[in-house]
Amino acid sequence: MELAEAPMSTSTPEITPLDYTRYDFKDPETYRLRIPKGLSREVVEQISKFKDEPAWMREYRLRAYDHFVERPVPDWGPKLDEIDFDAYTYYANPLLEGETKRKWEDLPADIKNTFEKLGIPKAEREFFGGVGAQYDSGTVYHKIREDLAAKGVIFTDTDTAVKEHPDLVRKYFGKVVPYNDNKFSALNSAVWSGGSFVYIPPGVDAGIPLQAYFRINAKNVGQFERTLIIADKGAKVHYLEGCLPVGEEVLVGDELAPIETLAEGRAVLNSDGRETTIEKTMVRPFDGELIGITPVSVGNAFQLTPEHPVLCVPREKVQVSRRTTRQLTDVDTRKLLATPPEFVPAGELRPGDFLHYPINRTEHDVPEIDSAALTVLGYYLAEGCVQKINGCEAVTFTFNIAETEYVERLSVAIHAMTGKHPWRIPQPEKHAVSVGVYSKELYAFCLTHAGKLAGGKRLSKTLMELPPSKQRVLLEAYYEGDGNVYERSGTVHRAMTISRQLAFQVQELQARQGVYATINVREPFDETMPDGRTISHRRMYIVYHQVGKRFQAVRRSGNAFLVPIRRIDRTPYRGNVHNFHVAGNNNTYLVKGFSVHNCTAPIYSTDSLHAAVVEVVAEPYAKLRYTTIQNWSKNVYNLVTKRAVAYENALVEWVDGNMGSKITMKYPSVYLRGRGSRADILSVAFASEGQIIDSGAKAVHSAPDTSSKIIAKSIAIRGGQTSYRGLLHVAPGATGVKAAVRCDALLPDETGRSDTYPYNEIHEEDATITHEAVVGKIGEEQIFYLMSRGLNESDAIHLILMGFLAEFAKELPVDYALELNRLIQLEMAGAVG
Amino acid sequence: MAGEATSHRLDVKDLRVEVAGKEILKGVTLTLSSGELTALMGPNGSGKSTLAYALMGHPKYKVTHGTATIDGQDLLKMTVDKRSRAGLFLGFQYPQEVSGLSLSKFLWTAYMQRHTEKTANVKEYDATLKQHLTDVGMEENLLKRSLNEGFSGGEKKRVEVLQMTTLAPLFSILDEPDSGLDIDAVRAVGEAVAKFHREQGDRCGFLVITHYQRILKYLRPDRVHVMVDGVIALSGGRELAEELEAKGYDFVKVGVPGAA
Repeated sequence: MELAEAPMSTSTPEITPLDYTRYDFKDPETYRLRIPKGLSREVVEQISKFKDEPAWMREYRLRAYDHFVERPVPDWGPKLDEIDFDAYTYYANPLLEGETKRKWEDLPADIKNTFEKLGIPKAEREFFGGVGAQYDSGTVYHKIREDLAAKGVIFTDTDTAVKEHPDLVRKYFGKVVPYNDNKFSALNSAVWSGGSFVYIPPGVDAGIPLQAYFRINAKNVGQFERTLIIADKGAKVHYLEGCLPVGEEVLVGDELAPIETLAEGRAVLNSDGRETTIEKTMVRPFDGELIGITPVSVGNAFQLTPEHPVLCVPREKVQVSRRTTRQLTDVDTRKLLATPPEFVPAGELRPGDFLHYPINRTEHDVPEIDSAALTVLGYYLAEGCVQKINGCEAVTFTFNIAETEYVERLSVAIHAMTGKHPWRIPQPEKHAVSVGVYSKELYAFCLTHAGKLAGGKRLSKTLMELPPSKQRVLLEAYYEGDGNVYERSGTVHRAMTISRQLAFQVQELQARQGVYATINVREPFDETMPDGRTISHRRMYIVYHQVGKRFQAVRRSGNAFLVPIRRIDRTPYRGNVHNFHVAGNNNTYLVKGFSVHNCTAPIYSTDSLHAAVVEVVAEPYAKLRYTTIQNWSKNVYNLVTKRAVAYENALVEWVDGNMGSKITMKYPSVYLRGRGSRADILSVAFASEGQIIDSGAKAVHSAPDTSSKIIAKSIAIRGGQTSYRGLLHVAPGATGVKAAVRCDALLPDETGRSDTYPYNEIHEEDATITHEAVVGKIGEEQIFYLMSRGLNESDAIHLILMGFLAEFAKELPVDYALELNRLIQLEMAGAVG
Repeated sequence: MAGEATSHRLDVKDLRVEVAGKEILKGVTLTLSSGELTALMGPNGSGKSTLAYALMGHPKYKVTHGTATIDGQDLLKMTVDKRSRAGLFLGFQYPQEVSGLSLSKFLWTAYMQRHTEKTANVKEYDATLKQHLTDVGMEENLLKRSLNEGFSGGEKKRVEVLQMTTLAPLFSILDEPDSGLDIDAVRAVGEAVAKFHREQGDRCGFLVITHYQRILKYLRPDRVHVMVDGVIALSGGRELAEELEAKGYDFVKVGVPGAA
């Protein structure tokens, strides 16, 4: 291996300490209209006045308010005693009433930016027939595609609808969910603001989904949107609402770990490349956009909250001139190396800025691991396999038949280590030669220091901390196996692996050799062979560096590399973000190898309240689907009433996913009032630490030949609680009813809890009712079954979980489904030992 | 890495097993050898399935005494997945359903536990799988369905056999592969197992748990054990199965001194 000739300075510039006062992560809370917190008749009247509503609506609000005051908090289900209704602001609108915009450009800059960062205008162009956006109480944007509007489709905010479509609203408003249905429907009916109004005229198929986004920005502001959807005779529509989050990983010396799983006391690296320990971990709910930073090494891309300080050298400080004709200006290398890196909030980073990639300098020699051992490990990483052959531990290697030199080198090293001569078995049909040895010791050694299976190869902490001169032996052998060398403006050295862990570790080892290697990712793909067979290629990580190239984008500065940012993007995120304090006064840690400061954003400790009402009407022969993915931050009370009425031969489908929130109470219902109408309710609950998700479904059959299908799935881990609360009602006279209820609960660890409360009120004898409930099972029998086929416990659980949610995931738009899988995987990573 | 055709042994010695604090197996000793097919018969509740589950390592089945080894390796010390990878297979009487997990993905995942990326041969796997499907009389589209979900009793049993042939174990315990099947399905399962037995030759040993003699018509056991109340009360050749069929299990209880 040769050293890359990266420009190098001799001293490390001092790092300026961080100025904590500069960061504020919420949008400034500037509202055109805002009523002070607390709830009273006056507040309700004031809201109605702001909205300049007709008298009937004002009176409706007041009746609802009176009922809200009288009605006690439900004495069943999760405890809601802690809610202090006077602690919330019931109305805060960044716009004046009636100012809802139809062009994003017309919005105030800060709000427009928020939604733009969330990617909503783009999504609207690409995927949706209409988009609504609500910011606290105010609907700030509503727009529908012109072709749909031409067909008479109405998609607007409910406030506007009250004014522009009074007859329609008055006909349906509060008819499906009366204000006195429950305490929270009363609350919503009194203080509602925003929400979507959708009307699909007879026979119209809206085609692509209509989508709404809801965002609580201000502290302690409740959100009380009111949604009313009407599919007239034979109409079809799919309405979608929600957002989903992501997670990030931290480099902790010997491995990459999702940041959520790191415990206090765990070792991490700081920006000096020294190991330090986590003193305190912090979690806070976050709702906003995450900044995605992709350096020239795209495999090292990572995400942070916008206020999170990142150590870097801004390009504008070191560029040659202020030329604007090219996207990136040239950089004065001398200036770059002389400029001390500084902390910049992630949200202010720009492409071309230089990230700080420190070189891990932790070093412990282990004399027993000699060059023979490192040679064997290097080959093992690339070509090796530990296995039991006839019950005996063996380590085997597969080489191309032409690689006699490597086979020879490996054989000598194995002999030096074990005293045994390895076998060589040519496999001419595969152009391969297999080399192997029976050795308990070598088997254990390889497993300990290098993992097993191609995807699970990784280096032990011991190896990662050996002196660089020794690591070089390991790298050389590894590159002979997994690597290749070719000429392209210099000599390119490349190693390919499907182990992500290994790719990052090789990058780190190369850094210790003085080489900054980039990581590229080749996404998995299916290849169809000429015989029609499909080969699935797994995701591949390519570690890559060039020697002898004249221009180097990455510079060496003291004990770090300065790596330019290639791309910055922003993604909406609603959920927990994680952070920690580390020991020592430097208080930095590395994300995907890059230095960031611990996060400085404030933590909201008070709760928020979301009490929506959704009313859906499906007129005869209409088909309507309502999909929700909620992932509110874990301090939100989410108390939602969702109900649909289905007339003759209509179909209503609720697809309802509940991940976030502190407490959720939500039971999507369908009242089947017309002969032959159908209901399909698919609900998923995922409750983790500190969460109670009390959800379920209701099907009320009051007409003959109606059918309903309810599938409720819940997962409760880490002390989370889920409940299924369901009602199946068959009214007298509703003959020929078919109803099927299935509720499955999965408790992957011992700490989650799941309860089922099914209520059946069947007044017709010929009803066909099936009810299946599988609750409280850890899936122990399933795990045993899968393990009896050779799968280890965590693989078995993963397969079961993914299967468990498959029914739900397949109903989601693809990006939602992917995020769901990711979220579950992250949540499970810490849950199953 | 194909093992040479050596003979393998599964030895169970004086095995005592408790379930929920109650002793079900009260000292079972038996040996399975590769190439041989052993039938284990006995009345309901005698402990036949307990033996199967205990050997596979079900957490609820607690071994309080005795040993079980494959070629000298202590089976009882291994986790369930390791027992499987050591060559033990259990065909379940009541196979679990895993919703959302397709049979094809499951088979491939299980197959890959025994192979590395390098030893796995997709082409060969596909061809063999197709052959095995035909052997058990199943349609290929079954592979796309969720594992065992909504499968008929017969389909489930066939899928167990399919898993066995895919994984090619050293020892296969089949827990009532014939229960709940009609005559045609018994024949299909019986013939598929017999074919696999023939093809594996001396490689794989079988323990077939059954109440009835009818599947044994296809399997032709080398040895028959009769379990009564947690012990093997009687052993004999193929003819014992026929005798049992004719006389019922009572004769074992009466006829064998010392049997509880």
